[in-house]
Amino acid sequence: MPAEVFSDIARVDARGKVLGQTQYGADMHLPGMLYAMLVPATVAKGAVSNIDITPATETSGVVRVLSLGDFPTLSPEINYLGYPIAMVVAETLEAAIEGAEAITATYETAPFIPLMDSPGATVVPSEGFDTGDVDTEFQNAAEIVEGTFETPAQHHNAMELFGTVAHWSGGRLTVYEGCQNSDSARNALAEAMGISPELVTVKSDYVGGGFGQKSPPKLQTALVAEAARLTQRPVKLVTPRGQLFHIANYRPRSIHNIRLTANSEGRLTAIDYDVVQENWPDGGFRSNGYHEDVARLYAIGNLRATAGDIYIDRNMPRHTRGTHPFPAGFALESAIDEMAYRLGVDPVQLRLDHEATTDIIVGQPLAPHFLNDCLREGARRFDWSRRTPEPGSMTLEDGTLVGLGVACGIFGASGSAAETTLRVRADGTTRIISSGHEMGQGIRTAVANAIVQGLDVNPDRIEILLGDTSVGPQMATVGERGTASIIPATVKAVQALRARFEELAGPNPPAGNLHQQLARLKRPYIEVTASELAPGQDASALEAFRTGRRAGAGSEYPGFTSMSYIAQFVEIHIEPGTRRIRMPRAVSIADIGRVVSPRTARGQMHGGVVWGFSTALREQSEVDPRFAGYLNDDLADYVMAVNADIGEVDVGLIDKPDTMVNSAGVKGMGELVMLGTAPAIANAIYHATGKRIRKLPIRIEDVL
Amino acid sequence: MRGLNYTFAETADAAVTQFAEAGGSARYIAGGTNIYDLMKLGIERPAHLIDVSRIEGLDAIETDGDVLRFGGRALMADVARAPVVRDEYPVLAESLLKAASQQLRNMATVGGNLLQRTRCMYFRNGAGSSTTVGVYLCNKREPGSGCAALGGLDRTQAVLGTSEACTAVAPGDWPVALAAMDATIEVFGPEGTRNIPIADFYLLPGDTPHREFNINPGELVTAITVRKTPAGRTSTYHKIRDRESYAFALASAAVAVEMDGDAVRTARIALGGVATTPWRASAAERVVVGSSLTPELALEAGHAAFTEARPGQHNAFKVELGARVIADALIIAAQRRV
Ligand SMILES: Cc1cc2nc3c(=O)[nH]c(=O)nc-3n(C[C@H](O)[C@H](O)[C@H](O)COP(=O)(O)OP(=O)(O)OC[C@H]3O[C@@H](n4cnc5c(N)ncnc54)[C@H](O)[C@@H]3O)c2cc1C
Repeated sequence: MPAEVFSDIARVDARGKVLGQTQYGADMHLPGMLYAMLVPATVAKGAVSNIDITPATETSGVVRVLSLGDFPTLSPEINYLGYPIAMVVAETLEAAIEGAEAITATYETAPFIPLMDSPGATVVPSEGFDTGDVDTEFQNAAEIVEGTFETPAQHHNAMELFGTVAHWSGGRLTVYEGCQNSDSARNALAEAMGISPELVTVKSDYVGGGFGQKSPPKLQTALVAEAARLTQRPVKLVTPRGQLFHIANYRPRSIHNIRLTANSEGRLTAIDYDVVQENWPDGGFRSNGYHEDVARLYAIGNLRATAGDIYIDRNMPRHTRGTHPFPAGFALESAIDEMAYRLGVDPVQLRLDHEATTDIIVGQPLAPHFLNDCLREGARRFDWSRRTPEPGSMTLEDGTLVGLGVACGIFGASGSAAETTLRVRADGTTRIISSGHEMGQGIRTAVANAIVQGLDVNPDRIEILLGDTSVGPQMATVGERGTASIIPATVKAVQALRARFEELAGPNPPAGNLHQQLARLKRPYIEVTASELAPGQDASALEAFRTGRRAGAGSEYPGFTSMSYIAQFVEIHIEPGTRRIRMPRAVSIADIGRVVSPRTARGQMHGGVVWGFSTALREQSEVDPRFAGYLNDDLADYVMAVNADIGEVDVGLIDKPDTMVNSAGVKGMGELVMLGTAPAIANAIYHATGKRIRKLPIRIEDVL
Repeated sequence: MRGLNYTFAETADAAVTQFAEAGGSARYIAGGTNIYDLMKLGIERPAHLIDVSRIEGLDAIETDGDVLRFGGRALMADVARAPVVRDEYPVLAESLLKAASQQLRNMATVGGNLLQRTRCMYFRNGAGSSTTVGVYLCNKREPGSGCAALGGLDRTQAVLGTSEACTAVAPGDWPVALAAMDATIEVFGPEGTRNIPIADFYLLPGDTPHREFNINPGELVTAITVRKTPAGRTSTYHKIRDRESYAFALASAAVAVEMDGDAVRTARIALGGVATTPWRASAAERVVVGSSLTPELALEAGHAAFTEARPGQHNAFKVELGARVIADALIIAAQRRV
């Protein structure tokens, strides 16, 4: 039973953040704490033949050096530049840095492949996909659009670095660290330390941005725990950003060949799609996932998808916000725009005319959704009707070229089994043992809103425990499934608690809010535990959740598939002389099912447009192939969008529940919100200039 | 552990004396926005920092006489909002306001700005500090070691004034505006005061790219002076960068003109982001002086500035971009005549 429209409440943790009181992992300071610094390898491939740690051990303040052989991950084999070959632990950060910088090593070097187009790089095919009859559609096609699209390696660059504080006490290990999956961090630590998971606690109460980079267990965490064990003192490591660029994960560069057909009636009929990406053997980000979500965007019945990996000798690429649908959507949504020109159809209309009802990947219905509402509402707010389609046909008085572009995005609406325990007390407080991670996206605010919607409790005295393995199982907050998983369980708990209260109070409940009513009934508190499964899940999923294992499901459920949708409209101005590209206006409208936290949802939408703009026009991790190293490895040189880049952003949410995906009707949005903006910008640039740019980021030299 | 002395100088004399006493490993520090960065990168490893940010009077901004005089430790933010600078010398104000970010401008000094070091990524990376990874050779950092930027990622490197040893861009915006305005740098050292025309202040890399400034160890920048001119009002600093704030120039132009109707009587044009020093574009000036300014002529002037350009693999666009930046800047400046 999806709830009514949720009212707007302020971010519950805004005040602490504005006052600088919010504590992140690296803010933890423990008595007697030591500081660590890693020593990165200076070659891309080969083996350490000799390492001299003496200068570090002789540095005053250095307490311990962990070097080759001291821990399983400190091995001489080097597979990428920057791989840690030692860690120095000292009384002060300065001593740790000085010691780390004093360590020298010699290497046997081996040849390496730095980039996917380097000599010697080969494609390893992965499993493809084929449905319908693509070849016949190509033979019968009235129009064929084709193009090669490329998106670059990009790093997540969350504000919060990787910071780890490890502390042992009585055989128990506690780690403070920002992560998106504290249960898996705990399990990885237990395994690395050879102890039972019950003896490990990971505390990740607040995360300063994750974006996928903080999902897998980090290389550094167990090393810091080992250092704390050896020194019998707490140890802190905050890895500098320059090192993170080289050792943490990032979005792989990928190249997409897409061919799209239309028949003589102007119907889109087939997609022939091939992708290759940089990867590792057994890498964490599969190449055959690109076509899956975007194939569900429109009613196009025939699809052939092929994919491949090119193994590179850099750090391992993995999930990055927007994941597969970002690069694939850039390719598809650019091709759709080009097809609209070929067919002489308005690009909004062409999309409206191809509303999808079937998931052609699985061959089952899509849950009811509202992409067309997004397109119509976006077009209205944006005043799309003023657009004259001819490229270069819209200009300002000073000769500035104006381009209006549209594109859509789609992302799987996954979920997870979840359980939550809600306690309302007579003393005016409420506590909920929740699950997930607060990365700034607002999961705590969503949980609080679900509580205050259903219960008359003090809104500012709700304690929401999550991100901490000692309070309960903490599900991976990835793939935009956090809110969609915990909110249905929370809503259920709220309903159960109300039912329990009514049972308790009988037909004539005392006056006051819930706390006062409990007091009058002389009940110190009432507590309920509620759990919810994703569609098609059984009790084993709940058991998996309770034991910190994978409990996720979807976006493909038995009998249906559920997706989130977004439509993006952008106005681009290109100055006549220097061709500077500006974005004075963007409109972004999404279908994320029921909106449970309007304030933070809108925040996500704004941030998504900014991120989308940034991926389209700014960000690229620059690798010098002679060294396989990243050169622009700080926030000054890795160019991300700044406030001055962003014009007016108008966001809207359809706010209609998805009645199939979960009892609250909630779908995720964290990944979705950055989709569609990049192709909308590229399409707008085409509209302004007549130049179709198929490679991101688009820079001034591309339009000069 | 490596020690670091930190002392404050209350007067220019004291600063110079402290520097002499500390020997070769001392550095002045003003706002610290560049020197600390360089220390973290392992490029600067001073044993003694002498803080000049409290020197009495060194922050004065004097605009009454027939020269503008900016004390060496005047803040970028303060100079930019000085009324005379803001209203009568937009080229100076804009060069400051389009640099860095407000937070940095509130800390950074106009003297320190002159001496900031290049953003060449090969220079910044690979000095062995914990904040960087890898080994990248750099003749500026390690004279004679080689230049990894040659044959590397050179999109942001210089196309003018380069040598076989170095293609690093001079980073500052303010020095470009000062170059257009023929500023003079006043330095004070053990030998007394020297006045150095800005045209002589920056050194081409040649085969000694580690020598960047015409200033001797221990010399303190006490002031920057600009002779007042009506051209100040008809001026602009036009900057194109990879984002609209908090980024160095891909190409920029400082332009000040004096107009006779539509004809250009005098022109001062300097370039940033494209050259190894703040680059006075005399060839471009010659194209426009004496002629009436049209968009076509402005672009011709822009192209004239780049006839000697030697682009690398990925930065050829700077030639065309730079020409158009000059062209736009000329038009913007000329439109400011009252
Ligand atoms: C992220 C970032 C972005 C930036 N973007 C821009 C930009 O777009 N454009 C731009 O122009 N600049 C930019 N800057 C650079 C900034 O303007 C300079 O760092 C600043 O001007 C330096 O001034 P300071 O007072 O902080 O110098 P410091 O860091 O204190 O000193 C710099 C150097 O000057 C020496 N020095 C300082 N004062 C004196 C003196 N009076 N006499 C002799 N020597 C002295 C020091 O010894 C040191 O070698 C940026 C900086 C950062 C960090």
